[in-house]
Amino acid sequence: MATDNPNADGFGEVSRVRGIAFEYLSFGASVFGLVALGVLLVYVAIDAFDLANASPEWLLTYFLTLVGPFLAFCLYSANDPEVTRRALGALGGGLVVVAALFSAIEAFVAPIPRLNWQLAYLFVVAAPTTAYLAYVGSRGRLGAVGFGLLGRLVGGVAIGLAVGTLFLVFDALLWFLAYTLGVLPAVGLYAFGRVRSAPRARTAAAPVGLVGLTAAVFLRDVVATYPSDLIIYLWTIAVPVAAAGALLVADRSGRTAGVLVGGLPLAVATAGGFLAAGAGLPAPTVLLVLVLTGVPTAAYVSRVVDVGEGVVGLALPFLLAAGVIVGALIVEALGVPAPDPWLDASYLTEAPSRTPSEAGLYPAIVGSVIIIAMVAVLSFALGVGTSVFLEEYTPESGPLGTLTRILQVNVANLAAVPSVVYGLLGLGLFANLLGLGIGTAVTAALTLSLLILPITIISAQEAIRSVPDDLRRGSDAMGATRWQTTKNVVLPEAMPGILTGTILALGRAIGETAPLIMIGAATTVFRAPDSLFSRFSAMPMQIYTWAGFPQADFRYGVVAAGVITLLIILVGMNGSAILLRNRAERGS
Amino acid sequence: MSNTTTDDSLITTEVQADSNDDRAAPAAGTAVAARDLNVFYGDEQAIDDVTMEIPEKRVTALIGPSGCGKSTFLRCINRMNDMIEICRVEGDVEFGGKNVYGPNVDPVALRRKIGMVFQKPNPFPKSIRDNVAYGLKIQGYDGDVDARVEESLKGAALWDEVKDQLDSSGLELSGGQQQRLCIARAIAPDPEVILMDEPTSALDPVAASKIEDLIDDLAEEYTVIIVTHNMQQAARISDRTAVFLTGGELVEYDDTAKIFEDPEEQRVEDYITGKFG
Repeated sequence: MATDNPNADGFGEVSRVRGIAFEYLSFGASVFGLVALGVLLVYVAIDAFDLANASPEWLLTYFLTLVGPFLAFCLYSANDPEVTRRALGALGGGLVVVAALFSAIEAFVAPIPRLNWQLAYLFVVAAPTTAYLAYVGSRGRLGAVGFGLLGRLVGGVAIGLAVGTLFLVFDALLWFLAYTLGVLPAVGLYAFGRVRSAPRARTAAAPVGLVGLTAAVFLRDVVATYPSDLIIYLWTIAVPVAAAGALLVADRSGRTAGVLVGGLPLAVATAGGFLAAGAGLPAPTVLLVLVLTGVPTAAYVSRVVDVGEGVVGLALPFLLAAGVIVGALIVEALGVPAPDPWLDASYLTEAPSRTPSEAGLYPAIVGSVIIIAMVAVLSFALGVGTSVFLEEYTPESGPLGTLTRILQVNVANLAAVPSVVYGLLGLGLFANLLGLGIGTAVTAALTLSLLILPITIISAQEAIRSVPDDLRRGSDAMGATRWQTTKNVVLPEAMPGILTGTILALGRAIGETAPLIMIGAATTVFRAPDSLFSRFSAMPMQIYTWAGFPQADFRYGVVAAGVITLLIILVGMNGSAILLRNRAERGS
Repeated sequence: MSNTTTDDSLITTEVQADSNDDRAAPAAGTAVAARDLNVFYGDEQAIDDVTMEIPEKRVTALIGPSGCGKSTFLRCINRMNDMIEICRVEGDVEFGGKNVYGPNVDPVALRRKIGMVFQKPNPFPKSIRDNVAYGLKIQGYDGDVDARVEESLKGAALWDEVKDQLDSSGLELSGGQQQRLCIARAIAPDPEVILMDEPTSALDPVAASKIEDLIDDLAEEYTVIIVTHNMQQAARISDRTAVFLTGGELVEYDDTAKIFEDPEEQRVEDYITGKFG
């Protein structure tokens, strides 16, 4: 590629034209892709929240009460005059540029549908700047504390809701017996063995647990009376979670703090659980959400107060909540016309309906959560097991080595098989041959597990392979068995990579539609599934169905709201994968 | 090996052996013995009919040019060669009076009696405490783990430097400290023999000299077998020296002083004076 020019002075010149052309072409292509996706998301968001009908006054009010204080908090915690100057410059300059550009395009080129310049400003300048400032602020001491708290609140609610959803399916009475007879004695024995250093108690833990679990299955129909669901959840989940939090904090900052961290959220959650029925809410879910939000939050707050740094940052959630409330009050008082978003609380809690304004995604969300929980467990266990076997246990040569190589190549090929083929496999194998039923949640979960298994295996293999051989040999030389080396050295070191790969693969599973169609998943169900063998619908399935409805409100509003819900869940999952990886990388 | 690859430090070597060593007398019993040992990697012979006896509670150095089979010999003692699939071993290696390649020997159980330290420090990505306690943990040790951790770290001359940070990661230590951590890890389960495969070649001279002092102390309690490229090091710290030359041949094996001052073989003299290497 290099062409020397012997006639020039110096050492001659080397042409770089092709390299530069390549650089700018790739840059242009990636920017074009991102911009196209961005525009699509902007329109989907506008549809989902009905922002096209938002009046400028409404936007301004919320900008002042919600976005403004949030920006101020981020700038304050970023603690850097340069960031402040640049942010204000971008916000102010962006306002002028967007307004001018927008007016020019509307005047000279073409009208831009369903978008006014204030909205354009919101999406093109304000949202990216806010995200950037949140990122900068979240690394500051104050901001980190606030965002950490926010993360625990949101994450706790999400996990609480997911657990509550799962208990729609799993038999609470069986779980109650299994926990009381199996899990609790086993954990107790193990803890006793650890504290008193009695190895026999520790060894006994596993058999005792197994016996208890087996006994629970048989006693399920024998025992006649059970406590109420709320008591069961209180006893089997809320109390252990609170106890774990209390132990953790007591170890760090004393017994009083521990009791407070465990006891206070437990008391609030219990009260909330008993009062929930009066408010028409499902009591067990309220209990689970409150306790799973409360205990991590309390543990975090206690640590922040202990360390004494950035306590002000804890005010961030209150700042946001106050912003929403004040904004709502002002809008109400001024009588400003407010948009009517498709994506609202009732959308998330109601069943699908024939009228667009009443349509909801709830049964599909529950279906997706159930499927994804099963897929996560199945694909993680199978994927890690297979990759450990392929990487650590199989020889490189001989007939077994050949077999391994054939397996490896085929696993890689399976990752490229179209999902519709997996759907067909699921239909034939799980639904018909094994008789798990057409369109049931368990068939879908097994099919999707099979679909992402190759991806999980390959990423787990990569993670295991990246563990340095030095560590394995160090462990082997200490007289560790293959299993001890794998369990104590290889898996802990590879776990962040394995988790990242698995969560990214789960992101693919949650968005799959084709295999669900093949196994006969329902397009629309009106009740959340209440067992693994009941008919279900999943979010992408429901969205796909709505997209085919004749009414425009379905095709634009309701579908857009579904897409946003799905994307938020996906971004949440992938974000947590990235956080996990970063934290683990910093840890080692 | 050709002359062009000779290590600079070897060319001018006129090494003085550690002649005033109080342990030089060969009164000790035999810890490890090799009889007619041949090792092959595929078709290539790495060790050629080696027979030697290594005394207990002494430092025995294995020296020789690269690729002469000294590391292979070391790995035969705790059967780490088993991990290399193309490796084939013929002959006997006796440890504690038993052939480690005998039919009833479990290599994992064998390795629990033989500690090993590698060329590159390889602490586990765990806390310092967990690193040292690793051997105890996998062997299901019942006693006071913390006491053994402290004892081992003291034995590896690392205790004073890390006693306040036992819970921080072993990877946060410097290279020399990491290598001493690996030595502490190796001695924690109280092995009988410690194998060291060029333990100082990845370290700076100051860290290396600390390890050398430590090896001297370790020989009070353990049999130490060390592979090294550094001839001064072998002369300084070892009681017995075995010289391997290309092809896996054990050319000469004697007291260190004898090897460095008056070797029997011309080839050995050429090697240690840097004419060949």
